[in-house]
Amino acid sequence: MAGVMIVEDDAALRELLRDTLEKRKYTVITAADGREALAKFRPSVVDVVVTDLLMPEEDGLMVIMKIRELKPATRLIAISGGGMAGPGSYLLMASKLGADAVISKPFLPSELVQKVKELLG
Amino acid sequence: MSTRKKVKEEGGLKPAADVQLGMLAGGIAHDLNTIITTIYGYSEMALESIGNSPEAELNIRRIIGAADRAKMLTGQLLDLSRRTSHEKVPVRVAAVLSETIDFIRPSVPEGIRIMSRIAAADAYLSAVPAQLFRIFINLIINAIQAMSGKGGTLTVTLGYIEGSDEIISGELHRDLLIRFTDTGKGMDEATASRIFKPFVTVGRENGTGLGLMVVSDAVKELGGTVTVSSAAGTGSTFELIIPGAFFGTLPEKY
Repeated sequence: MAGVMIVEDDAALRELLRDTLEKRKYTVITAADGREALAKFRPSVVDVVVTDLLMPEEDGLMVIMKIRELKPATRLIAISGGGMAGPGSYLLMASKLGADAVISKPFLPSELVQKVKELLG
Repeated sequence: MSTRKKVKEEGGLKPAADVQLGMLAGGIAHDLNTIITTIYGYSEMALESIGNSPEAELNIRRIIGAADRAKMLTGQLLDLSRRTSHEKVPVRVAAVLSETIDFIRPSVPEGIRIMSRIAAADAYLSAVPAQLFRIFINLIINAIQAMSGKGGTLTVTLGYIEGSDEIISGELHRDLLIRFTDTGKGMDEATASRIFKPFVTVGRENGTGLGLMVVSDAVKELGGTVTVSSAAGTGSTFELIIPGAFFGTLPEKY
């Protein structure tokens, strides 16, 4: 089954998304910030990366840019609850940098599962 | 639009406060939206595993209903942050520039001076005040970072381009020229050519690497251009040219 990486600094949400995707039989790897994500990404088999945008250390925009360089075929989903510029602006920036899909928080996990399915075709 | 009206509208502008309020509202909304996603998620999961228990199902649906109301509230918070900072009004550019410099001055490290030369004190732009503030603050912070350690001077000049006069609907319009010249460490040509792309920083310890991209996007939105000239070791000049400035009082020759 496909590998999904969850990058989210909020521990409760990170575990929820892991549970949700593991129930659908995806292999899930998690990371609490961008730096951890990039370190784990290199040696793992990851088809889809789901990343929050505002995080300590390397943020999600950096994750998107670096993964686009490292392995362009990876599908990228950006999730964001806003921040100073409002969710639209951060998610717009994520799209400009190469995210395949964006989801505004709050969302239902079933919406994320649907997006992951769509991107994997 | 009459001069009196411009001055009256400007009287209510507080771009620094606007940006801070927007950041606060946006920050709270961001954290709450993450928490609400978790509430939705476990509620959805509980509904899937609950079996035949109408009472438990009703209770979970009430939790989801409460989360829906919280989601509406965070939406209102984000609307507030957008409303306070996204409306175009006539802005006296010199006023926003002075406010930005006053805002940053208390946190400027010792050994760094900021000088301003304002030759177009009465020039107005139709702009979002907070957006102008963001352009200026990012360029000023960038200059301060380039001079950190060794000290230096940032000179900010506000004038207009000679010969750019244009009369539109009976009103004089000119291109504004705003320069930020620092005596910092500068950069080589290769770095200068990439500097408006995201995550290009001169010294990784400084900033998010997004500041100059924000500047470039915001200046484009105003129909203007931003360019940099720089040499390693001697400092940098960022030059903004923004068309369509108009005047509260007509310059003497008109």
